Amino acid sequence: MKGTARGERIWFAPRGLAVAPGSTVRFVNRDPGNSHTATAYHPEVYGRTRRIPAAAAPWDSDFLLPDESFEVTLTAPGVYDYYCIPHEMAAMVGRIVVGAPGDAGWEGPSADAEDVSPEVLAALPGVEEILANGRIEEEDRA
Amino acid sequence: MFKSTLLSAALVLGAAACATAHDEDALRMAPPGDPYVQVSDVLPLPAFLPGLGTLFVNPETLPAGPFLSYDHDGKLSATIYMTPLEELQNGTAYDDLAIGAHHVSSVDIYYNAGHPGVEKPHAHVVLFHDDEAKGRLAK
Ligand SMILES: [Cu+2]
Repeated sequence: MKGTARGERIWFAPRGLAVAPGSTVRFVNRDPGNSHTATAYHPEVYGRTRRIPAAAAPWDSDFLLPDESFEVTLTAPGVYDYYCIPHEMAAMVGRIVVGAPGDAGWEGPSADAEDVSPEVLAALPGVEEILANGRIEEEDRA
Repeated sequence: MFKSTLLSAALVLGAAACATAHDEDALRMAPPGDPYVQVSDVLPLPAFLPGLGTLFVNPETLPAGPFLSYDHDGKLSATIYMTPLEELQNGTAYDDLAIGAHHVSSVDIYYNAGHPGVEKPHAHVVLFHDDEAKGRLAK
């Protein structure tokens, strides 16, 4: 979680990440002037349309102040999309790919385009791009 | 009867003028007191925001503010307004906003993508109250 000094831009770093099933990822707020959340798109969390595998447990870090962190372990293979509650409007979103297509129980990216804005959809890196690079940084954004 | 109404109106006006002058004194050091609340007490934000300092606001005046900005020593250093771009575009004007102190040495205006409290993309309008204020609020 990062941001410019005056908050003109904020983003997840990386905004795309590939990990093996069972990996624990840690979200750390490295933005000294703002608070952020890492929140899964899921009906059980603020009633959002699900954008993580059906077999996965949703998470919400709640607000992280600068230097605070939150961990989640991802076991179900598939595509996980998450957002920052105060900055979803500014398209602060990220995507984690756990495992790869072909893994037992793999669930690909959500096809929903109703619950999220076009800006959010545009900010989510493609699954193949993530798998090919391992991680996608904000700076890589076209 | 009419005369006494005028007189009481004049007294009220006089009292209001006094209150304003007195308020500027009251606001000079943190905490500014009622109706201002410390932003980090009511929202998930750090107590001191780099560039903005320690903020107090009257919740009734959100989102525009004024936000009163204090340095690490509790000295009033800036008055800040936050105006959502969408609202401005839709015709909302933020007029006759209060000011923390009448001496303004410089003004910065810049874009902010949003933060708890004012989540919509907005402009920060920062009125610095002395030449060194910006430096003291930097970090
Ligand atoms: Cu954020």
